[in-house]
Amino acid sequence: MTDTVKNRLIKFLVSLIIFGIAILIIVYNLRDNIVYFYSPSEIIENNQTGSQIVRLGGLVESKSVVSDGDSIFHFKITDGQEQISVKYQGILPNLFAEEKGVVVEGIYMNDGRFIANKVLAKHDENYMPPEVIKSLKETGKWQE
Amino acid sequence: MSLVINYIANSLLILCLVTSIIQSRFLFKIQNYNLLSISQISAIQFLSILVSFFLLIFLFITSDFNFDLVYFHSHSEKPLIYKLSGVWGNHEGSMLLWILILVLFNFLFSLSKSSSQKFKEITVAVQSLMIFGFVLFLLLLSNPFNINNENFNDGLGLNPILQDPLLAIHPPILYIGYVGFSLIFSLSITGLLTSEVDKKWATVAKPWVFAAWSFLTAGIALGSYWAYYELGWGGYWFWDPVENASLMPWLSATALIHCVVVLQKRNTMQSWTMVLAILTFSLSLAGAFLVRSGVLNSVHTFASDPGRGLFILIFLFIILSSSFLLFALKSDKINRPTLHNISSRNTGIMVNNWLLISILIVVFLGTMYPLATDLLYNQSLTVGPQYYAISITPIIILFLFFMILSPKLSWEESKLLKIINEMRYILISCLTITFLTTLYYDLFNITEILIIFLSLILIISSLSSGLNFKSTKVIVKSNFGQSMAHAGFGIFILAVVSNAVYSQEKIYDAKVGSKLQLDEYIFDFKNIEQEEKVNFNSIKAFLSLSKNGKDLGDFTPEIRFYSDPPTITSETSIIHQFFSDVYVVMNVPQNQESISLRLHIKPFMNILWLGVVMIILGGIITAILNKKNYRENEIN
Repeated sequence: MTDTVKNRLIKFLVSLIIFGIAILIIVYNLRDNIVYFYSPSEIIENNQTGSQIVRLGGLVESKSVVSDGDSIFHFKITDGQEQISVKYQGILPNLFAEEKGVVVEGIYMNDGRFIANKVLAKHDENYMPPEVIKSLKETGKWQE
Repeated sequence: MSLVINYIANSLLILCLVTSIIQSRFLFKIQNYNLLSISQISAIQFLSILVSFFLLIFLFITSDFNFDLVYFHSHSEKPLIYKLSGVWGNHEGSMLLWILILVLFNFLFSLSKSSSQKFKEITVAVQSLMIFGFVLFLLLLSNPFNINNENFNDGLGLNPILQDPLLAIHPPILYIGYVGFSLIFSLSITGLLTSEVDKKWATVAKPWVFAAWSFLTAGIALGSYWAYYELGWGGYWFWDPVENASLMPWLSATALIHCVVVLQKRNTMQSWTMVLAILTFSLSLAGAFLVRSGVLNSVHTFASDPGRGLFILIFLFIILSSSFLLFALKSDKINRPTLHNISSRNTGIMVNNWLLISILIVVFLGTMYPLATDLLYNQSLTVGPQYYAISITPIIILFLFFMILSPKLSWEESKLLKIINEMRYILISCLTITFLTTLYYDLFNITEILIIFLSLILIISSLSSGLNFKSTKVIVKSNFGQSMAHAGFGIFILAVVSNAVYSQEKIYDAKVGSKLQLDEYIFDFKNIEQEEKVNFNSIKAFLSLSKNGKDLGDFTPEIRFYSDPPTITSETSIIHQFFSDVYVVMNVPQNQESISLRLHIKPFMNILWLGVVMIILGGIITAILNKKNYRENEIN
């Protein structure tokens, strides 16, 4: 092995190791900051209660939206099989409507309620979050 | 009439296809065609697309609903400016805009006199090969001139949230940035083919790189400003996949502009410059098209078609594999062994290049991780903004440090102690300011203090290096563009950190006549009104803002109900003050008695945009100054 080749090999290996360590640190950090997405059926099945912030998506059940003042809203999210009651304090996005797709972010409580701190908005009125489409397809409630 | 336009437009597109084949002949060593010069053929190429683009604009203005694109994306009652922006507010139209900019750059370059004839021929040939690919894609898979056989009376309209003057100009500006890097890519391929990646190459490429970079920066900034006032979430950057897709090429382009400068000055870092040029264009392509392909899940996602995504992925694969293959074959020939001292400016720039690439990797992993888990484990998830904040903050601190240091280092060798000695006044004054600020605002977070301190030094040392203060006048030095952009970056970071620390937000359920309070501001809720406008109905709230008894202006947040397509939007109302923005968003009234209002105080927003504008201007100044210098050299 010539010196230049040896040199290059060492350089290459060293940068590979540094690179690898950097990626590991980033991914480790990443895993602490991910938010999982569930459909109502999945969240009941996994029993994801506790302090971890998760996302829940599905359709807003018709005639389930109730406002009790102070910007507090109650509504139900369904995937056609299960439904979860959601409580949210804040401003609802403009595209929020009954029987339309919605994604909320918050905590799933022990008593089966979901306390949302965010309701996510989408640009397009016909737009359906892909996760919601996926979970609706799984429960057979999706029509093209 | 419609059939005639359809026929003309398609013929023009085919004409462009033919001219692109003729132009790419230089790659295949067929040189016996000399009827027209390269710039003349490029002119035909450019005009054919320009005319078909004008035809599409004409169709939108006259609302010709025989065309699918107009039917799906326009409406006869829409204001003129949004009929115009409807042209590129959809996939097919934006594709035509993309090609228009592609041929425009090709045409401009074929006119430029900065490079040798042979170099120009090959660059134009590579660029034309790309044009060929895109025009073929347009004709086969996303033809904007498709005709339907129905007689529609009116169109389906443009998403109202996109009906915004800023969003009308955001895509063209961003696209000029993205496409600008196609020319850099072609220049790099030519450099590799001819084994001429040297000072001369850098001098030719520099104005184009800086121009493309400035447009890309401006495009991202416009998108961010739009999100700030239109989405009404109080933020200006959400680490959303679509935003990340535009940030990634920006990061690699920022590394690239510095490498081109090093290459021009020192004739070194050839390989790395080539890698960055190829990377930047690949990321631009991915950024522009994966966004519309529906692969990325985002708040910005529009209706999508996976087939097109596949085409772009194949295109991307061809470009990446062929250019890196070429690079692997040629990289030994373009590199010139150079020795440079460890304490030279090269090292500083190289370190910051690596830091930029680290940020790029952080953003890339954050954007791709959800896609990977979805594919591999069928598990949907999102990556929180916290991830980006935690990962990028330490990198930014190092980055600021080297941004201060590198311009102070000479290209040869420097003594660190000497630099510190030269900077002593700046260091002492910045330390004092930081100390006083910390005391005044009760700031005890060490990271924030460090960032504030470093960005203050960066601002002052950059400004003082670009301007020479004589007793009576101020002399602008040749590195003025650089110093302005660097100072702008310091101002930007300072504003980002202060904004993150001091932003406030509160939600009220308010009745007409009530007074709301946030911090020292009083919001007097006066009235609420309904109104009918041309293409929407609106509910408007009227509030006036005062602080310590002083009147500061009126808010008119608004909810708009559009009918085509049926959509509701909120218009935020912002009062810009020098040091902070006050921001009101209203909600769709759920009951008669009260209305939900969200109040925001966003400090330092003006300063943040000022920093961004300085960064963009710095890039433009550098692009223009370089050109001037080169002409002077040529005359000499």
